[in-house]
Amino acid sequence: MARPGTAVWLLRHELRLFWFSLASGKAGAPRRPRWRVIGSGLLVWLGLHGAVFALLDAIGPTGGLPPRQFVIALTAILLATFLFMLSSALKRSVETLFDRGDMDLLLSSPLPSRSIFTVKLAGMAFGVAALYLFFLAPFAHVGLLLGQLRWLAVYPLLFALAVLAASSAMLLTLGLVRLLGARRTRVVAQVVGALTGAFLFLLTQAGNLMAHGDGPAPPAMARVIASLQSIAPGSLLFLPARAALGDGAAVAVIGVLGMVTGLLTVRSTHRFFVRGLQQAAGSARVPGRVGPVRYRFERSLLQVVVLKEWRLVWRDPHLVSQILLQLLYLLPLCLVVFRDNALQLPVVAGGLTMLCGSLGASLSWIILLAEDAPDLLQSSPARAGSVRAAKLAASVLPVFALVALPLAWLVWRAPLAGLLAAITVAGAVLSTAMVNLWTGRPAARGEFKNRGQRSVTTRLLELAGLLSWSALAWLLQRIAEAPVGLALAAGLGAAAAIALGTLPLAWLLRHRVR
Amino acid sequence: MPHLPALALSGLVKHFGRPAVDGLNLTVARGELYALLGPNGAGKTTTLRMVAGLLAPDAGQIQVLGIDMAADPVSAKRQIAYLPDDPMLYGKLKPVEYLEFVAGLWGIDAGAAEPRARELLAWLDLEKHAHELTEGFSRGMKQKLALAGALIHAPQLLILDEPLTGLDAGAARQVKDLLLDHVAKGGTVILTTHILEVAERLAQRIGIIQHGRLIAEGTLEQLRETAPGATLEELFLRLTGSA
Repeated sequence: MARPGTAVWLLRHELRLFWFSLASGKAGAPRRPRWRVIGSGLLVWLGLHGAVFALLDAIGPTGGLPPRQFVIALTAILLATFLFMLSSALKRSVETLFDRGDMDLLLSSPLPSRSIFTVKLAGMAFGVAALYLFFLAPFAHVGLLLGQLRWLAVYPLLFALAVLAASSAMLLTLGLVRLLGARRTRVVAQVVGALTGAFLFLLTQAGNLMAHGDGPAPPAMARVIASLQSIAPGSLLFLPARAALGDGAAVAVIGVLGMVTGLLTVRSTHRFFVRGLQQAAGSARVPGRVGPVRYRFERSLLQVVVLKEWRLVWRDPHLVSQILLQLLYLLPLCLVVFRDNALQLPVVAGGLTMLCGSLGASLSWIILLAEDAPDLLQSSPARAGSVRAAKLAASVLPVFALVALPLAWLVWRAPLAGLLAAITVAGAVLSTAMVNLWTGRPAARGEFKNRGQRSVTTRLLELAGLLSWSALAWLLQRIAEAPVGLALAAGLGAAAAIALGTLPLAWLLRHRVR
Repeated sequence: MPHLPALALSGLVKHFGRPAVDGLNLTVARGELYALLGPNGAGKTTTLRMVAGLLAPDAGQIQVLGIDMAADPVSAKRQIAYLPDDPMLYGKLKPVEYLEFVAGLWGIDAGAAEPRARELLAWLDLEKHAHELTEGFSRGMKQKLALAGALIHAPQLLILDEPLTGLDAGAARQVKDLLLDHVAKGGTVILTTHILEVAERLAQRIGIIQHGRLIAEGTLEQLRETAPGATLEELFLRLTGSA
């Protein structure tokens, strides 16, 4: 038993809180564990052990390092893992600094600030590593059973990577606080965190974006891997991959690196962490700029509702970063539309439809369902239908505005194809918005990322609409290009039936949103 | 129709598994400041939410200035402003933007809304925070802004649920002055409060509700007739059986 008031005792408390939030489904939920969640998780985990057993048994104990290609591929996978860990750690460091949770209680206690910071950092690292441990720890367990001890390296490697990610995230966040101030840090760190998660996607697209000429560009990732082959096998770059494959020296180096980074982070920044917390406490208060106040009371109900919704989304950097991620995925597609002489019309139309529908779904969920003051709207004499119509307009107009330019270009280049793409884009955006309007459940904005869990029916209908309109876009372009066979025609019919059938089904399942 | 009461509730019933409001009859005259008191869970907030049109009663009738809430909710709501204990604000809006939104919901003419907004912001000392987002406001500032939003359309009937909770002395004084001014200009105020001194000093009539029913009603003097010399707190505790 750890003595109360020590760092170990505090770490135990932190891990208990982490377990409660995990077992009860989400942070802040009642601490009673949801045994169905735990049971299902355990079953999946046991299943994973079985699958890993079959895999390792088939591979057998291999001596020495595996082929070079495998090490290179593993390096890429570990890089991706580290970037996802960093993204998650940035989110957690912002939460620790700005949402505070129990920080006021801890800082007002006689515990040394160094212990508090150490425990918070360790908690962050554990939280970041947990997901990867769930999937990769079976390798260590089964490896032990089969006598393949090198797989035990999974544990130290993942913990070292998690500590590195947590330390880097905390250093970056505190550095931003020093550089930009607490208020701007929250915005920047959230956006950086979201972009870090999308970095690999951009990397894979970079080659395509930079390619010139009419020929197809080789995949960027393949070129990266090809260039990695010219690096000497003993390079430090391959150290994590070698550690993952059980190279004892590599494990030791990575483990020590993680530990030293963690200790140095604690030693160098624990005082500034407290100052950062103090700065963050007052960061919600934005200093007023000097100037006359502008009064604009001449707007109609439609205008005030639309403007209010856009302001609420635009001024929420966390939401914007999550929505912008979707636009980020749209960007390479748009560049393909502008760049290539030989347009891949079915791909472009299908992709645009999917992405616009997806963006429309996000915005309509936020605007239609995540209303901050529903009582204000309901107690006002404004008609519910008028408010809903205004909110619907607020959610679809930005999507149409964003896609207008690529679509206009497409119509100019290939009028029929552009027109068909415009129809399917409009169909997907309106379909997802109406599904949310009719079947969605009111929620808080903070639940945006987990909105699918709140209303499974809405999510399924949304997905059905999205996929069917995208398939329709792809098939319509194929049919417009050349005559097609019976199978494609049947596919077109099925896609059209699902796309058009989703809305009546949503209407039948509707319940009042307000 | 100045003879009609500002609010008339008859046989109002609302059940949430158990009765929250149980055959409540209540009449509040125009130009009156009425305090509705009661222990926790007595049905005060449920009553106010039904009057504001946020909850539909299971039975009974609500009339606001003679307008039946069930038959013509839009007209009834035009006369009402409701301010719950947790202010209905948008953290990412600035004060003027919030007032513009509320004025838009109530369809207020720009010519009337703008001077009213200027006056309210100045009165409540919020002008110097006009460029700040409300998410950074203190509890008192939020409450004052919500009150400004409630008053922007010059409602006939102002309904407030615990309007002074969490306010400092200065902010509480500003809110009380605003309520008294509203009544002095012919408006009606119904408020709930756990701070009995507020009811004692501000209210012209006091109603005490328990288990969803009105158990006592009258001016402070009328209530005291049952127990001469007693304070409102003593009366309240005795009537609700909390003593």
